[in-house]
Amino acid sequence: MNQNTIKFLLIAFLFITSNLVAQTPYPADPQQKPMLISGGTIHVGTGQVIENGALAFEAGKITYVGPSSGAPTDKTKYDVIDATGKQIYPGFIIPNSQLGLEEISSVRATVDSDEHGDFNPNVRSLIAYNTDSEIIPTYRFNGILLAEAAPEGGIISGTSSVMQLEGWNWEDAAYSKDAAIHMNWPAMQKRKFDFSTFTVTSEPNPDYGKNIEEVNLFFNDAISYGKLSSKEVNLKMEAMQGLFTGSQVLILHANLAKEILDGVKFAQAHGVKRIAVLADDEALKVASFLKENNIPIILPPVHSVPKRDDDPVDLPYELPSLLSKAGVMFALSHQGMLANGRNLPFYAGTAVAYGLDKEEALKAITLNPAKILGIDKTTGSLETGKDASLFISMGDALDFRGNRITEAFIVGKQIILNSKQQALYDRFSKKYNLKK
Amino acid sequence: MKKAIPIFILFLLLAQRSFSQETFPRNDVKDDRAEAYAFTHAVIFTNSSTKIENGVLLIRKGKIEKVGAGLAVPAGYTEVDLKGKYIYPSFIDLQTNYGLPKVETPTGGGGFSGPEQIQSKTKGAYNANQGIKAEYNASDEFTVDSKTAEKLRASGIGTVLTFRSDGIARGTSAVVTLSEDQDNVVILKNKAAAHLSFNRGSSRQMYPVSQMGFSALLRQTYLDADWYDKQTPKPFKDLSLDGWIASQNLPQIFETNGWVKDLRADKIGDEFGKQYILYGGGDEYQRISEIKATNASFIIPVNFPDAYDVDDPFDADRVSLTDMKHWEMAPANASFMEKAGIEFAITSDRLKDRADLLKNVRKAIEYGLTEAAALKALTETPAKLVNVQNQVGSLATGLEANFLISSGNIFDEATVINENWVQGKRYPVKEVDNTDLSGKYKLTAGDKSYTLEVSGKSGDYKFKVKITDSLSMDAKSKLERELISLSFNTTKEKKNDLVRLTGWRQGTGWKGEGQLADGKSITWNADFTGALDKKDNKKEDKKEKPTIGDVIYPFVAFGSKDLIKPEEILIKNATVWTNEKDGILQNTDILIKDGKIASIGKNLTTNGKTIDGTGKHLTPGVVDEHTHIAGGGNDVAANSSMVRIEDQLDAQDADIYRGLAGGVVAVQVLHGSANPIGGQSALIKLKWGVGPEELKIKGADKFIKFALGENVKRTGNPQSNRFPLTRMGVEQVYVDAFTNAAVYEKKWKEYNSLPEKQKANVAPPRKDLVDETILEIVRGKRFVTCHSYVQSEINMMMKVAERFGFHINTFTHILEGYKVADKMKAHGAAASTFSDWWDYKWEVHYAIPYNAAIMQRVGVLTAINSDDANMGRRLNQEAAKTIKYGDVTEEEALKMVTLNPAKMLHLDNQIGSLKVGKSADVVLWTGHPLSVYSKADKTIIEGAIYFDIEKDQQLRKDLEKERARLINKMIDSKKSGAPATKAGSKPHMEYHCEDHGVDQAIYEN
Repeated sequence: MNQNTIKFLLIAFLFITSNLVAQTPYPADPQQKPMLISGGTIHVGTGQVIENGALAFEAGKITYVGPSSGAPTDKTKYDVIDATGKQIYPGFIIPNSQLGLEEISSVRATVDSDEHGDFNPNVRSLIAYNTDSEIIPTYRFNGILLAEAAPEGGIISGTSSVMQLEGWNWEDAAYSKDAAIHMNWPAMQKRKFDFSTFTVTSEPNPDYGKNIEEVNLFFNDAISYGKLSSKEVNLKMEAMQGLFTGSQVLILHANLAKEILDGVKFAQAHGVKRIAVLADDEALKVASFLKENNIPIILPPVHSVPKRDDDPVDLPYELPSLLSKAGVMFALSHQGMLANGRNLPFYAGTAVAYGLDKEEALKAITLNPAKILGIDKTTGSLETGKDASLFISMGDALDFRGNRITEAFIVGKQIILNSKQQALYDRFSKKYNLKK
Repeated sequence: MKKAIPIFILFLLLAQRSFSQETFPRNDVKDDRAEAYAFTHAVIFTNSSTKIENGVLLIRKGKIEKVGAGLAVPAGYTEVDLKGKYIYPSFIDLQTNYGLPKVETPTGGGGFSGPEQIQSKTKGAYNANQGIKAEYNASDEFTVDSKTAEKLRASGIGTVLTFRSDGIARGTSAVVTLSEDQDNVVILKNKAAAHLSFNRGSSRQMYPVSQMGFSALLRQTYLDADWYDKQTPKPFKDLSLDGWIASQNLPQIFETNGWVKDLRADKIGDEFGKQYILYGGGDEYQRISEIKATNASFIIPVNFPDAYDVDDPFDADRVSLTDMKHWEMAPANASFMEKAGIEFAITSDRLKDRADLLKNVRKAIEYGLTEAAALKALTETPAKLVNVQNQVGSLATGLEANFLISSGNIFDEATVINENWVQGKRYPVKEVDNTDLSGKYKLTAGDKSYTLEVSGKSGDYKFKVKITDSLSMDAKSKLERELISLSFNTTKEKKNDLVRLTGWRQGTGWKGEGQLADGKSITWNADFTGALDKKDNKKEDKKEKPTIGDVIYPFVAFGSKDLIKPEEILIKNATVWTNEKDGILQNTDILIKDGKIASIGKNLTTNGKTIDGTGKHLTPGVVDEHTHIAGGGNDVAANSSMVRIEDQLDAQDADIYRGLAGGVVAVQVLHGSANPIGGQSALIKLKWGVGPEELKIKGADKFIKFALGENVKRTGNPQSNRFPLTRMGVEQVYVDAFTNAAVYEKKWKEYNSLPEKQKANVAPPRKDLVDETILEIVRGKRFVTCHSYVQSEINMMMKVAERFGFHINTFTHILEGYKVADKMKAHGAAASTFSDWWDYKWEVHYAIPYNAAIMQRVGVLTAINSDDANMGRRLNQEAAKTIKYGDVTEEEALKMVTLNPAKMLHLDNQIGSLKVGKSADVVLWTGHPLSVYSKADKTIIEGAIYFDIEKDQQLRKDLEKERARLINKMIDSKKSGAPATKAGSKPHMEYHCEDHGVDQAIYEN
């Protein structure tokens, strides 16, 4: 790194930190007064839709969901929002995100998602989670209220936590600490550049067996560690135990159908209680296996280009519907440019355009990720007793034309939706005297 | 048993002769022999079309004296009886590096992740670009390489063209024979041809790295050579240009790796009045009519790919239709070329083993190539292409005595080459005589008698000894000329029972000495008793002519047998978004005729195709102002204005079809953003199936990419040493370029204003493609699309443009355009931006999704673009985001991906709105065009339906069927023992602005 780069990074860092204070909205206070939303269409998140519904919540918990006719009548007790003509949704949940861990991918100083080393179960994402990330409010603006902040890289990338997109610090924001361990299953195919044809080709990874043996050793040692009566503390081994008790889910990242099979079989054989797989259309090839073994899938962006020239042009769009037909449970997620994760609702919308039932699509960004991450008892759908993490939209939140969030609540707290981007919009509208 | 005299005996004593050239000193008495031979009773092909039965070939002193039927053998000529044998001119291979030193290619370097090499590293007075090595002459370094010569001769080759495979201009080659004689004698012709390629070879100089860069450098070299040639005295010495100029009248051989580059190379040749000989890639069958239209002669390889191992269905998924079809069709390439009447030579180059030449030519014959054409491609044509037809390539008086003796028709599978004579010298290849040893013999060894059975054929005999009626033992055997050794066991147990025999040919059998297991010496003899018992000779099925699938256009999945054609189409009762004063028309018909919109209204009728548009929306086709699909890429000189995207268009990019499926009809394929002044862009329509030339929009205005900010500062490469490193330096690149261009213009003006008489005495100034392009901008003949992010640089760019008297046509990306929208409006710049991208690097940290709305409302012509194949097929939806972010009206939002980009590209007189007389480039959507729930139902370009949602389903079925057929065929091929390579894949390459080093990355790996 030369002098200039260091200077540049330093300046970049100072800019970011100084701007954050000024431009991220301040966190809301806990819910004081009960809230009643009435008159809208409620998308429960379980598949159920309630027309002209009402929803009440108190101290952050939902106390009523149902038709308006059955809503609490004592209006004075509540702050009331008339949502007539509007749509009410559970807060969207984005799994496998680097939100809060990364600000500007090309500025190293702002990236905290990828630690050195291959086996890092002891590395915890919530520690680095930056509640003041300027990207967070842009996600909330589109209805995403919970995120799994996931580490990346290596073989065992680390331990993720589910964060609510609201809070003064990571302790405030932590919704489910250490919910999952992420693992990149070793690649069966390796990329190779062929000078004779000037093309990139893939060929079998000669080290695959060796890689698996390393993983095998690590898991076996972790199992053994858990059972030893006397031992010295080993941070890495300690961090693995949740997989065997079921308190944590193993999220396996796999690129090929055979890797999915190999990885899941491996995890099962090593007594991992809960397994989810992050995979693309390769999952479709082993759909019956996934269904039989109750393995849910986390899908990469629906808005993608097919991997192979021979794939149907709309394969990534149709994939959720095809998985649904095959009986595989799945959640949608985002990869690539972090800022673009805010388009998660539209991934669900596209899946609908290509055959998925609308409420199933909603599930894929609410209840299904909640189930995968083990937080469905308290969130993921609008049901009595669950957290009041929800929002109201002018129209269909899965369509660009309807996604206009008017109010949003995270565990009952009404959050501020506008942030830097809206502030700049205001500022320059004023400069040019524009009518908004 | 047939009887014949083994011919090789005659030559046992013929040793290598010492130097035969008379200027060389002798160290012995003069030994100058006649070397006169008569080859008689052979079938002789004097050339591909003349076959002589019972022919006689007379050679003397290395040359052919006479060839004909039944010629008398003059006294003193050593007669070689070739009854049953064939004589052919030996083959000529135009693609070799025979006898030349290996080129050392450095690994890494070149500036992708390290410091850039700006200047050439070649020491000496050579060209400014290290890729131009036109000064090189192969004959200067050539020396006979006996080991390689022997290998090549074994393939039937007697003469080669040898050149150094290094650089874009590679210098000249030499025609040399494969005789192991003195270098002075084997060179038949030096400076035989000049060689070119699209490969910079060992050079790691930063420019050029891309296809378009190679083309641009070639163009500039032609111009420089012309200028340099006219100067007296020379302004400086350039030995490379001297070499270039001296070799212009030679045949120019251009190495490509397939039809795409064949066409590219030929185009450059056309620009400079050169007809290249193209060394193609063996896939020319995929575009045979375009290939024919080049009028070029070709050199083609016969390196047919192996089948893929597709036994495992998951593995099979990784193999593309293109690769499978090419596997099936590659052996037919030569046949396609023959049928199209294209002149071609065949080379053994690119074969894993050059020894496979004949095997693969035979395969090509099996796939339809005629034997005459094959022979021609191996002999006469290559001789003619490098003008040595009076020395080699056929058998006629006075030519070099270069010929093959084979055991039969050379294209028959069983035929072997026995000898390869080069310049009158015999080089045995496979020492086979006509004697057929197979049969039964009575073997008497000591006091025992057995039946010996010899089966197989010359070179591969099997010996079996029948000990008793029920016990047969295999015998180990070794045959060397007349000598034999044999050993065999005589009991089943094989214990202490080995009989070892050695002997010599005697009459129709053998006799000799031997030893038994107990050490006792014996004598033995074997006498021929008769032929082997005829086994049920399975009748070899006459090989069926292989069946091959159809050529499809393009030659990838979702291609079609026939090109898509315009139709007369009536779309009835749709919601029509006109983008004109009429706005959105409900329940409206639109008639398309002759590629144009013929009428818009109600109750229209047609004799053509009618499409029901009820419930559907019809809009102008989507236009993308900024994409890198279909051949985008980057060269890396800070000022790359000389490179042209149109030089590297890829008409087979799957993203073209995917774009159509998203309603896209026209795009600007932009150069990358590694340079303040990037390359010239290409405006294309997504006509799936046509060749690269037909993709281009005829008569469109010309554009160029500029770029600002982090990419041109090479922020991604901390070790970069390329100027500029800062936004201050970036400005200076522009000021410098436009200042220099003005000086350049003045020089030319002065020259052009000279009286004609005076002009004749003055050499014209140097034509510089960089300055020429910059001047086009100043003169309003080329328009700038400028990649830009932050307000300071946007402002700077406008100031520079104003200073030099032009304006920026479009700012692309322009994510801080909202901060200087008023200035942009005043300048007259349009804005083509992302809907919601931000924060992927520092300079987009203040990007906001309201950008488009603000700029549009201020009065800047605004579009939403993709820069990305993924987003490029959902641009209608990206436009919809401007409604969410900034309350743009729906009609205005749609215009941001149709009419507005059309205006920016100066195409709005043809496309962008629905108006009678405009080009019929329209999309029928399944629903509201801005909804996430809508899809393109039909995408029509110039009246031809390039995407149809129903036809797409049919294409998928066809694809599945064709893949299944090919997979089964590959499995059968593997079963039959043919080699199979591991199923690999070629990941689809995507380009973005951010990949500003991608070409280099690929190049350097």
